[in-house]
Amino acid sequence: MRWSIRSRKEQHTYTPGCRNRTVQIEVAFALTDEQQLLALSMPQNSTVADAIRASKLSQRFPDVDFDVLDVGIWGRVVARDHRLADGDRVEIYRPLEIDPREARRQLASLGMTMGARQKG
Amino acid sequence: MLIAVLTVAIIALIAGIALSFAAKRLPSDAGFLVEQVNELLPQTQCAQCGYPGCRPYAAAVVDGTAAINLCPPGGDETARRLAGLLGREVLPVLEQSSPAVAVIDEALCIGCVHCRNACPVDAIIGAHHLMHTVIESECTGCELCVAPCPVDCISMKPLVPAEACQVAATGGQ
Repeated sequence: MRWSIRSRKEQHTYTPGCRNRTVQIEVAFALTDEQQLLALSMPQNSTVADAIRASKLSQRFPDVDFDVLDVGIWGRVVARDHRLADGDRVEIYRPLEIDPREARRQLASLGMTMGARQKG
Repeated sequence: MLIAVLTVAIIALIAGIALSFAAKRLPSDAGFLVEQVNELLPQTQCAQCGYPGCRPYAAAVVDGTAAINLCPPGGDETARRLAGLLGREVLPVLEQSSPAVAVIDEALCIGCVHCRNACPVDAIIGAHHLMHTVIESECTGCELCVAPCPVDCISMKPLVPAEACQVAATGGQ
């Protein structure tokens, strides 16, 4: 018999990744018109590279070379042999289309600032 | 002496059982109710309800100062559950004028991560000096990323008519 209302909280208790020796992670890759956010269960001590391989994103996006792109976790670039922790979101980043400094320089020579481009 | 001890023990036992039942059956404590309401909310912290986040909104709902239909990400389903929990009338959610998601103009993005940091639901993928992209399925259309962008490269794209119709249809039920 449950005596207390505390049982509600216990249901939400978070146990970081030791169950069955796996880590629950996500792999994310995004183009403007198509995005993939995949939830994966990886063995402990897997690396970022393992997760990207397991996500099979290279089959989904055959035109993208996933080996040369920067990868990271939650907005922070990491090496491909970085070990995964529970709750990580492995993200694959594409390069910028413009060189921010060059774009700013060109706009400045026209007497504009970057924020003003679309407004004006 | 034995009778006195037994009497007190029995009274204590009865009182204890009564209290535990009361705690279970009558969870009307305001703090607990706020927690329950908060759990029904989507936790997007998007502030579209006019409150700074989901918990402040939950507190306002319990106070009676806020209506139950102010949560666009939660939609009618959340409004229905709140109505059930609080015993209030079910109201259709006051949708935004048109459901929309944020889109980043890739020709302008400078990889500054300001939008990423502003996003309450982690719907933006990106890192310093790398392209930022919105995951449409995660975006709640809260527009919190639009203002921080220093190059004004984020715009709100209305959802395709089919999806908008669907929202309108479920909203009308």
